[in-house]
Amino acid sequence: MRRYSGTGVSRRTFIKTAGSVALAAGVGASIIVPGRASAQQKTLKILQWNHFVPRYDKWFNETYVKEWGEKNDTQVIVDNIGLAGLNSRAAAEVSAQQGHDLFMFLWPPPVHEDQVIDHREIYEECEQKYGKAIDLAIKSTYNLKTKKFYGFSDSYVPDPINYRKDLWDDVGMSPQTWDDIRTGGRKIKLKHGIPVGIGLASEIDTNMALRTIMYSFGSSEQNAEGMPALKSKETLEAIRFVKALYEETMTDEVFTWDASSNNRFMLAGKGSLALNAISITRTGEEKKIPVADTIWLAKAAQGPVRQIGLEHVMDVYVIWKFAENIEGAKRFLVDYIGNFRQGFMASEFYNFPCFPQTVPDLQQLISHDANANPPDKYKVLEDVLNWATNVGYPGYANAAIDEIFSTWVISTMFAQAAVGKLTPAEALDQADTEVKRIFQKWRERGKV
Amino acid sequence: MAVLQRPVPGAWSPRRLSRLLDDERWLGRLMLAPAILYIALLIAVPFFLALYYSLSDITVGSRVMHFVGLKHFSAILRTPTFQQALKNTLLFACASQVVVLILANVLAQVLMQDFRGKWLVRCLVLLPWVAPISLGSIGWLWILDSIYSVVNWMLQAIGILGPARRLMWLGKPDLAMISIITVHVWRLLPLATVILLAGLSSIPQDIHDAAAVDGAGFWRHHLQITLPLVTPIMTVAVLFGFVFAFTDMIVIYVLTRGGPYNSTQVLASLAFFTGIDGGDLAEGAAISLFLFPLLLAVVIILLRLARRAEVT
Repeated sequence: MRRYSGTGVSRRTFIKTAGSVALAAGVGASIIVPGRASAQQKTLKILQWNHFVPRYDKWFNETYVKEWGEKNDTQVIVDNIGLAGLNSRAAAEVSAQQGHDLFMFLWPPPVHEDQVIDHREIYEECEQKYGKAIDLAIKSTYNLKTKKFYGFSDSYVPDPINYRKDLWDDVGMSPQTWDDIRTGGRKIKLKHGIPVGIGLASEIDTNMALRTIMYSFGSSEQNAEGMPALKSKETLEAIRFVKALYEETMTDEVFTWDASSNNRFMLAGKGSLALNAISITRTGEEKKIPVADTIWLAKAAQGPVRQIGLEHVMDVYVIWKFAENIEGAKRFLVDYIGNFRQGFMASEFYNFPCFPQTVPDLQQLISHDANANPPDKYKVLEDVLNWATNVGYPGYANAAIDEIFSTWVISTMFAQAAVGKLTPAEALDQADTEVKRIFQKWRERGKV
Repeated sequence: MAVLQRPVPGAWSPRRLSRLLDDERWLGRLMLAPAILYIALLIAVPFFLALYYSLSDITVGSRVMHFVGLKHFSAILRTPTFQQALKNTLLFACASQVVVLILANVLAQVLMQDFRGKWLVRCLVLLPWVAPISLGSIGWLWILDSIYSVVNWMLQAIGILGPARRLMWLGKPDLAMISIITVHVWRLLPLATVILLAGLSSIPQDIHDAAAVDGAGFWRHHLQITLPLVTPIMTVAVLFGFVFAFTDMIVIYVLTRGGPYNSTQVLASLAFFTGIDGGDLAEGAAISLFLFPLLLAVVIILLRLARRAEVT
């Protein structure tokens, strides 16, 4: 039998050495890394998305929070993540009962209501200082059933129509109504081979655009009292319209849509119209893409019942109950609203204020923008509050609406009817059953 | 004055520790402990937690749960989305495994041969497996993009597609399913190939020589000698492949998010959308656990097959 020589390492020695190293590493770490108790300065941890406008993140992370931190003797740490990771990250923080003091969603997060403080007092203080909050903010952060503010919205992003003015002029039309979009879109597609691009996929922009059509046709997932109301002749009409719109003006590309498709589609010169935030034109201006000058904006289109559109995204901050610096987080939000004009400018008009008085010269600013061609390109957003509404219209955003949104019930309904996999009536029946089932679940949990 | 201290009975002395470490029985347990701890903490605990969740009404935003029995399981069974996801999962798993098995066999046979640059080919074959799956999937998203697809560009360049024609790889149900299966095969092929290579290498050369002397041609050699001998290890490759196909959602999440209109929705992605994005953690857990009995049966059958096929 072979024996280890004196210079070899015996099993016993190996285990002893490994154990000692592990122990030393553990003890050493606690010596080297100073404990929290020694820190005197307060800390405020914020998590939010990577903004579509990089200049905003630069201003927020490198200028605003630093200045605020110095004034409030607080070290502010900002973490930015992609929008697709927000829900998973929030779930992880709730599960661990630790994380950031301020967590920003891009949509209402009613499902986290039990985990967050009541944000009422922040609204009250802001309203006292900066005037009334817009209805859109309240409807996106308030639970009508439990009477709790489960979030605080500082801003929203308008979702106007982006269209190729040269092409629409060529067919002698402009996209003012949904019928115009269908007729003009068909003419442009026939004449130039350039389609309309309204997503029919499982993604956020599709969710917004299709709800815009539904609401303007007088259809909605719920009524003002928060009861499921999808099954209606108005919804059926909206489904038939989208089917016709797809067949006459679009291509199969709309089934591949993702959160950046609108931008690529329009800036590549491949589309005649899309519903999107102003990131399309802003990107075009910044990168000096020639087609950008021909992309103009229009207000939400008039439907058979009303002229209405959705917000493109809704900034909603929440303060977890388990946050370590709840008071600092509240103070930060109130102060941030007071300085929102800087945020509006840094976002290059992307984020509109939920407290309109904080940007008193908004009308003048958007009426003349040095980067835009023509300079009054963004003027159409001056009355955005007259036509922008929340997800869950005419009711409030709630947990059932959130699950319907996240599991693509509405986009699947429209897509299945558009390709003829189901008839409009069958697609509506299927979606309606699912909507009612989801509402029932959340009603049993006392959230709707 | 020096005081002599007697060792206290039962206390840990270096000699006693040394004796214990030399004891095979205790040392075996000690060495196994990290693996058992790993399995218990990272597999058993989450599994039983998911089981518990699926029988409750927990949400991502609640820490209180009430027992609701099998309510979620009976509810999801009736939804068309779940039924579609179940069908898609089976199709996705089976189709990808068939393709992986065929290609891995071919690739392993090729890599068994001696040729110049073999090490480089082996490295390249392994790349999809070692690269992060999310990055690889994003690469594929661009390859299959509706506007900038390099595949469409090539098909147009060689004249298969007309200049104005583009295939919507992720926009048509059939093409989307083919696309996600292709990416999944791309991802799993290296693992299956390496496993089969190990199996092929373990066949004694004498057997190949004897077959050659007896005049066995390629197909007879391959089908009657090589394949039966690598079947046990091939079963392991299939087992891994099925487990990955049933549980992985990254490829689908990045490429299609279950679309178009749920035609590529699988149970893993549906569980994520319902449980995390939709907030209904309990129903998400029920969806994700639905295939557990089936997966368990597949594992038992495959492991039994592998044992039976072992050549002693």
